[in-house]
Formats: sequence, structure tokens, C-alpha cells
Amino acid sequence: MAIAEVQKIQILAHRGAKMEILSSLQEEGLVQLESANSEELELLSPSSDVSDLEFRLHRLSRVLDYLSHWEEKGFVKRLFAQKPQLDYQKRDEVLSFDYVSIVDRVEKLEAEKNELLAEIRFLEKEKEFLLPLENLELPLKSLESVDSVEVLPGSLPLAQYNEFKKMAEKEALWYEVIKRDKRRLYLLIIYLKKEKDHFEPLLKDLNFASLYFIEPILKKADEKDRVKDVMEKFGEEIEEKRVELDSVENEGQKLFVHREELMLVYDVLLNERDKLFSSRLLGETERVFYLEGWIRSSDIKELKFKLWPYSEGMEIYFRDPLPEEDPPVILENPRLGKPFELVTKLYGLPQRGSFDPTLPMAPFFFLFVGLCVSEAGYGLLVALLSFLIIKFAKPKGGLLQFLKLLSLLGISTVILGTLIGGWFGFPIRSLMILDPLENPLAFLGIALALGFVQVWFGTLLSMINGIKNKIYLQSIFVQGGWLLLLPSAVLYGVPQTSQPVWGILTLAGAAGIVFFASPSRNPFARFFGGLYSLYDISRYLADILSYSRLLALGLATTVIAMVVNTLCQTALGIPWVGWFIAALIFIGGHLFNLGISFLGAFVHSMRLQFVEFFSKFFKSGGRPFEPFELESKFVEFI
Amino acid sequence: MELGFTLAVLGGAFAVVLGGIGSAIGVGLAGQASSGVMSEDPGKFGSLLLLVALPGTQGIYGFLSAFLVMLKIGLVGEALKTLTMYQGWQVLIACLPVAFAGLISGIHQGKVCASGVYMVAKQPKDLMKPVIMAALVETYAVLGLLISILLLQGINIK
Repeated sequence: MAIAEVQKIQILAHRGAKMEILSSLQEEGLVQLESANSEELELLSPSSDVSDLEFRLHRLSRVLDYLSHWEEKGFVKRLFAQKPQLDYQKRDEVLSFDYVSIVDRVEKLEAEKNELLAEIRFLEKEKEFLLPLENLELPLKSLESVDSVEVLPGSLPLAQYNEFKKMAEKEALWYEVIKRDKRRLYLLIIYLKKEKDHFEPLLKDLNFASLYFIEPILKKADEKDRVKDVMEKFGEEIEEKRVELDSVENEGQKLFVHREELMLVYDVLLNERDKLFSSRLLGETERVFYLEGWIRSSDIKELKFKLWPYSEGMEIYFRDPLPEEDPPVILENPRLGKPFELVTKLYGLPQRGSFDPTLPMAPFFFLFVGLCVSEAGYGLLVALLSFLIIKFAKPKGGLLQFLKLLSLLGISTVILGTLIGGWFGFPIRSLMILDPLENPLAFLGIALALGFVQVWFGTLLSMINGIKNKIYLQSIFVQGGWLLLLPSAVLYGVPQTSQPVWGILTLAGAAGIVFFASPSRNPFARFFGGLYSLYDISRYLADILSYSRLLALGLATTVIAMVVNTLCQTALGIPWVGWFIAALIFIGGHLFNLGISFLGAFVHSMRLQFVEFFSKFFKSGGRPFEPFELESKFVEFI
Repeated sequence: MELGFTLAVLGGAFAVVLGGIGSAIGVGLAGQASSGVMSEDPGKFGSLLLLVALPGTQGIYGFLSAFLVMLKIGLVGEALKTLTMYQGWQVLIACLPVAFAGLISGIHQGKVCASGVYMVAKQPKDLMKPVIMAALVETYAVLGLLISILLLQGINIK
């Protein structure tokens, strides 16, 4: 169906034109390069320039990261933000800007900032260390150097205090409690140095932990300074460093004006690197280089035109892919179907010889998400928001397709929500065809009928695919048998339509399956194997019943919306502030419901496509088409 | 008569409590895993939030069924209804599918989401794959909800 035709492209050209030709290939973005693996040719190894560029890019990205600190914040602003634009032809102008000096300056500032931060952290730690001894009125130095006496500041767990008291009394140990907090008691203990061997083990038994002052603290302290004074000194120094830090940050902020220029440089260099890097795929001899890749057939004309200036020293060949080759897959769908390719790609691209399931899947997915959300107000919000983002932020590529998908699904939700749901929990009865709360069985019937249609359709596609691949008997009698059996069995089972003819058709379908499902030549094995595959009916049944989730998810949204509105009504009864609380509940509740119901609808509708539908006929395993093209991280190339 | 009403309320409570436990455990498991991943890479918050929120639906399904019970027995809206003992039992039993399916599937969905979180840590582009895996588990909570709704709808209380 909709897989684009792809051809192999081979270019043989003079070596001198290599970079220019690569450049124009990159700008066009039409060719996926392949490794030109050939025995006669030598593959190039990436030149040392690549690592130089890598290093520059690394530095730039760190600098940009640092500068992004001053970026304007705000969710809405960022949602609608546009990327800066650049004409790629003017890339030399971009590089003529002296970005290296800016990068150097920012890097220096960042290093200074980190150093200051580390110093502040260190000082704060020292200050914190002294905190328990804050109330000690002695000069700090006096705790250090006394000839015959050991002065020991330290702490005990609170639980040990009583035992410690007893011990101190018995041994006549001098101590003073300085401070206590929730868990520990801080003390100053003094004993003679010669008693050290006696007291040390005793204290250790009581879990006494002594505090030692390290060099920076002692350096800070003058002869007379108490602990409090030292802490103050630390505080002053921290303040000083903070002021310094502020001035460094201000310098950084001044450089923020260059951010956009640096972004341009980054993206230009990024593509230069890609170009150099991709030359590793080329083959080379003394005078010529050889390039191989894939191109979409419909793009060949355009590429030939673009490469015209080099045609004197160049030959281009095109050919169809060989049977043993694995060309990349490009999906091709009309405008409305394109956004649904995202769903297909999530499952995997079709194998060679298979087909693109996007179009057969799209209408079902469209319908199912609408049924699962079934709340027109939410659909309108989602469609509107994605439309506005497309309009103002002008996204590209995958994001654009995703937003388009969201707006389509929003539209589906508006339609189905009006028909079977409501607007923010308020049903518009005159427009409704069915109220699922009053008549859930009818909704269940619709859900299962949709499931039946999709499962049947999947089987049909499987039969068509089989016939295309020349598996005639199996496709016509087995898949065809199911196609006949399933609807006639339903018609025969429903009392209103029960006619003998449906019964006969059911049996005819079953006969096809029994006689052709098994590939065995032995008639008995063939018969019983076929009989066994009739058991697949339970799989079909389970698949169809799985669609009942459409009802459950649809009802869940409707009921939660109703609950929100009921809560609002209750809140309106509160005097004075009732309307305010009601408004908060209304907005918050409905946004919450919108979030979870869209998430659920998305995920479950996808599962129905992947597990129930794709499994019937679709084989994934193709590789995506990844053309050699301009890449950008921050900028939009025009 | 009063016993019937009490039983119906008990049914609603079961739906909320068991579904809530399942979701709480599930979201808890996924949440722990994602905090671990975010400690390395804080930028993943957005995509991981999706996986963490996913096992939360069971609690919502329970809540929703309880609300339907309240509608049914007149706790919300019009006057209270009188239920026979049998009707009370019926409402209680109708709540069991969503309650137990929610309890167990919530926990297991949480486990799937937690391992999905680890997967996204290594393969950020494949976010939707673990989400779909988790949805496979959630199916059974959805089916429980469905049957609870249909059963509740079928009980006739005047």
C-alpha cells in the first residue's frame, strides 16, 4: 500500500569535490548513506578534525547549559517559544563571530563560581561543626594546649547521661554540660593527662565521642577568641564569598546576550562534524571517491538537478534494490493519514514485502480515542491547544505530527462526546443518540460491534496479504473460512436473524478451516490438526470482547466529570467563598479528568491496534529511512 | 431494611479501599524506581511521571464505582432509598470485581511500570513501549470495572 519506492544511489566522483558534494547532499537531506563496503576500495577513517570539533561542541554545550540559567522561565512562554532561524548558506558569517573568546570567558566564570561554591560549602561545614560548643565561654585555644591537663569537648547519647553522671561522681571526674539537643548531650571534660589511660576506656564504654578541632578552625582563632567569635568570623567570610559569587553571576548574566549567537555556532559546528564523520562511509582511491546510499525514487530528479554543478567530474548511478538487500522504509500517506504513522512507527516499520498498515488502522484509532474520552469539552480543549501550538510555535518533524494527531483526536472526541457523552459533564440531550449511563448495554453492543468489524477486517487483510504472497489455499480456505464463519455464526446466534442459511454458511466456513488449516499430508493428522485450529474461535472471541474496554473507559470519563460537577454544586452551598471553591474544583477536577482520560484512551486504543488488529496481518521489522541531513539542536535552518 | 443499606455502603467502601490500596502500592513501586532514575538524570521527570501515574487508575475505577453505588442508593442527589437485605448484598457483591481486580492488577501494574522506568532510563526514546506493556495489565482492572458497572446497572432498586 503506502510504502515509498526506494532506489540505490551510487556516486563516483573526483576526490577534490568530495566535501562540496557531501555538503550539498547534507543540505538536501534526500539520501541515506550506507557504508561503501567493497574490496577494491579503502574505507576512510574519520580524520582528527572530528575529535577537535567534538571537543569544541562539548565546550559549547556546557557553556550554553550554564547560560540557560538566565533563560526566561514560564510554562506558557516555553510552550509557544519559536526557535531562532538561520539561513544555512550564511554559516560562514556565523563562524566569523569570535565565539572562542566568549566560551573562554564563560568557562572561567563557571570555574570561579564552582570554586566559590565549594569554599562556601566548606566554611559552612566548619561553622556547623562548632555549633554544639557555641555556649562555651572559654577561649578556643585554651582547649588545645595545656601541659598537664587533658581538655576534652565531646558528646554523649542522651540515654547514657545517667550512667555517665554516676561514673563521674564515683571517679571524681570534672565535667560541664554545654548544650543538649534532641539526641545528644555536649560536654566539656577535664582530667589530668596521667589519668588518660584510666578514663579513656570508661568514656568509650559510654559512647562518648570527642570533638577535635581541625587546622582551619585553629588558624582562624586568635588567642582570646571564644567559639562564638570564631563562628562569627566564619559567618563574615561566608558573606564575603557570597558577595563575590554575586558579582561572578552578574558577569555571567551580561554574557547571556551572546547565547543565541552561540546556539547558531553550535548547530553549524554540529553539522560540520556530521559531515566529516559521515565521510567514514565513503570509499576512496587515489583520485576518486565512491559513495553509496538509498534515495526515494521520486526525489531522484531533484537530486540530479542539485548535483548538476559537479557533473563534469562525477557519475551517478541508480538501480532497484537487489533481493538480498534490505532497503530502508519510508511510509507515504495522504495528509490526514500522516499523523497516524506515529502509531505504526511505535509498533515497528513494515518488513520488506509487507505493507503499511497506517491507513487501515487510522479510522479505528480515530474512533476509539473519541469513544474512550467521549467528553466533547475535553476534545475541544485538546484540539484548540494543539492547534495554537502548531500555529505559533511552528514545530517541525515528529512533534508537529504528534500535535496534528492530537488535534484530529480532539475533533473525534468533540463529535463522539456530543453524541454519547457531554460537555464538561453536562449532556446535551437533544444532540445525543445514546446515554451510556442509562443504557450501557447498547454502548457495549456498539463497542463489540466495532471490535467485530476490526477483527474481521484484520483477517481480510491477512487473506489479501497471503494471496499477494501466493499462499493461495491457506489464505482462501482458512482465512476465508474465518471471514465466512464469524459473521454467519453471529447472525445464526442472534434470535432475530436466525435462519438455517447462516448455520450452513457457518459450517461451510468451518469445513474450509478443518481441511486446509494443517499443512500435514497424512489425512488423519490433517483432519485433526484442522479440527484443533477451529479452537482459534476462542481467540477471536477474546479479541472481540477486549473491545468492551471502550465502554468502560468512556463511562469512566463521563462519571468522573459528573462527580466533579456534583462536588462543585456542593461547594456552591458554602457561604461567601462557595463560588471560588467551586470554580477551583471545576477547573482542577476537569483538567485532571482530561489528563487521565486522554492518557487511558491513547494507551488502550493503541493496545487494541497492536494486540488485536496488527497481530492478524502485520509483520514489523523494517528499518527506518534516516537521510543524511542538516541536524539542529537549537536553531531552525531555513 | 437498614442492613441492606449498610451492606451497599460497605460495597462502595470495598471498591474504593481495595482499588486504592492496589494503586497506592503500584504508584509507590513505580515512584521509587523513578526517583532512583531521576537522581541520575533529573530531566526525565516528564516522561517518568507518565509511567508512575499509570497504576493510579485502579483507585479511580474504585472511586467511580463507589460513586455509582452512592447514586444508586440515593446518597447523592435525591432522597435516600430503602434497600432489602438481598439488594444490599447484591450491591456489595457487584462491587467485588472492581475491588479485587483493582487491588491485584494495581500492584502488578506498578511492578511493570517500575521495570519500565528502568527501561526508559536506558532507552529514553522507547517510552511508549513500557506504557503499552502496563496497559496490558490494566486490561483486567478495566474488565472488573466494566462488570461492576453492568452489575450495578442491573440491580433494580425502587
